[in-house]
Amino acid sequence: MERDALYWRVILLAAPIAVFTALVIWPLLSSFYYSFTNWNGFNPEYDFVGLDNFAKIGTDRLFASAIINTAIWMVAAIFLPTLLGLALALLLDSKVPGGTIFKTLFYLPICLSAVVVGQIWIWIYQGDWGLLNTVLRAVTGSDFSYAWLARPNTALGSVIVAWSWQQTGLSMVIFLAGLTSIPDELLEVCDIEGATAWQRIRIVVIPLLTPATVVVVALSVINSLKGFDILYIMTGGGPFHSSDTLAMHMYNESFKKYLMGYGSAISVVLFLIALTIIRIYFRNLRKVDEIYG
Amino acid sequence: MADLRLESVSKSFGQEEVIHDVSLEVAHGEFIVFVGPSGCGKSTLLRLVTGLESVTSGRIFIDGVDVTHVKPSDRRVAMVFQSYALFPHLTVAENIGFGLRLAKTPAAEIRRRVAEVANTLRIEELLERKPRQLSGGQRQRVAIGRSIIRSPKVFLFDEPLSNLDAALRVLMRLEITRLHNRLQATMIFVTHDQTEAMTLADRIYVFNHGRIEQSGTPMHLYNAPANRFVAGFIGSPAMNFLPAKVRRQEDRFTAAIGSSVVPLDRSLRNLPQGEISIGVRPEHMSVVDPADGDVEATIEIVEELGAEVIAYLQIDATAEPVTVRLPPQRQVVPGQRVGVRLAHESFHLFDSDGALLG
Repeated sequence: MERDALYWRVILLAAPIAVFTALVIWPLLSSFYYSFTNWNGFNPEYDFVGLDNFAKIGTDRLFASAIINTAIWMVAAIFLPTLLGLALALLLDSKVPGGTIFKTLFYLPICLSAVVVGQIWIWIYQGDWGLLNTVLRAVTGSDFSYAWLARPNTALGSVIVAWSWQQTGLSMVIFLAGLTSIPDELLEVCDIEGATAWQRIRIVVIPLLTPATVVVVALSVINSLKGFDILYIMTGGGPFHSSDTLAMHMYNESFKKYLMGYGSAISVVLFLIALTIIRIYFRNLRKVDEIYG
Repeated sequence: MADLRLESVSKSFGQEEVIHDVSLEVAHGEFIVFVGPSGCGKSTLLRLVTGLESVTSGRIFIDGVDVTHVKPSDRRVAMVFQSYALFPHLTVAENIGFGLRLAKTPAAEIRRRVAEVANTLRIEELLERKPRQLSGGQRQRVAIGRSIIRSPKVFLFDEPLSNLDAALRVLMRLEITRLHNRLQATMIFVTHDQTEAMTLADRIYVFNHGRIEQSGTPMHLYNAPANRFVAGFIGSPAMNFLPAKVRRQEDRFTAAIGSSVVPLDRSLRNLPQGEISIGVRPEHMSVVDPADGDVEATIEIVEELGAEVIAYLQIDATAEPVTVRLPPQRQVVPGQRVGVRLAHESFHLFDSDGALLG
């Protein structure tokens, strides 16, 4: 009987482990391997270049700008959907008329693919007939025209807005679930003790939403690190690399310039950044667990 | 003046009325217990007093002031919840001082008063801990601490001991009694546990289906229950009910329990003849030789509790199980045939609707 159970355990675990190894572990190890080579992605012959690729990172001006853009992208892509999601959840939790309809509407964008979202926002930002400029022209009465995605100082910000529009619904739903898990008694204590609406939100609700916030931030971090597709669709990292993130830079170096070895080195750096963030996340998760169970 | 007065209070949720025309008064410093089975409306009534629920009709007065439509924070009541309702992210000190913080009391004043409360409840060493690091009893003390720090007019306890184990419940009962003696505050305590009600209360209100069945001191309810519900609810082990038929024999009444006939109190003048229930407390029954009892029975289960023996018997005549409280030295064994002698003068007679007779 016990041998049977062991047999099935091995069989059932073997399949996911094999898939995980083939699709995650093997590519990961391959990246590490190629980061020490000058492989161009096609030629079966390549040389080991030691730490040259990593040394090149230090002098790569585009890498430095990609790091800054990634930091801006990540901070904005974490904070904006989190804060907007929280605000919407608090608003919709207070039994506004038509709440269910609003919840559905706000959640809808997350069901769309990044390509669709990107294309919608390209149209919104379009200089001549885009919705944004049309509205601005109607409001200001001027003949305002601005190519939001074609200007280096607004390209990244414009993609961040589109990204936040898509991601906010997910944050909102997680916060709404967090709000329903706050025991009624705790809110009733606020009523009995005389908390104002703001005190109730600041001292009780937001701290009690910590477990939900941890999930939202974790998802935002993971999604923002993976956030390549919408940037690729909307700006392709341009203009003039102004919206190049590490993921985009890695793609350009690997698949446009065919510097697979260097691209792998960038991916290793990206991996180490992700690892550091995830370690910080797990350390904080333990603290949250100790307080909230 | 009563600290709390309810006048014809009713509460409906949708079409369903759950509190029916309840009126009651609680004097200053009284310890009142609302007791009743689950779903009888006692907790809802407490929530009406706090203002967490609004009344459908009727009025609530605290300290002579009509607070029926006053918001909870302005009623000067404090509530201790069954789940303790402590904020997990705040320390014990912050939980206790929560109300003062909201009222923007200076930090030094909050610290002083929290220390005072902690001293009263003997939890000084816990002040920097988070609720998760506390035992059930300690959490309950913190919840009580939060309620007493603002010196409210009325303390409301909503089944605060239900989540504690039996031994801790006894300890916390004593703590609450001590606290009441020290504060001399008006307290209302909701429970479904009649033992808690009997041990804590100056007066008890017994609720059933959203109505007050009876109120009075614990011993009054025990000795003179107004109906079969109260008789069965108050007392542990519960009162026994024996089906009987009343007969009039010349100038007095008798009751036939199966084939046995027992005399009823001579002072009874007006009894309907027919089916009734005779309520007898377990301590008003004794086990004797089969030939010497009012009815014959077989012992089913014996619980030896040290200070007393609780025996569960099956009475032959009625097939009704009954509970008898016996002195510890009384030796009985399961399966034993015995006679049961009933203390006739301690009978409580109820008609088929549960109303008290006589």
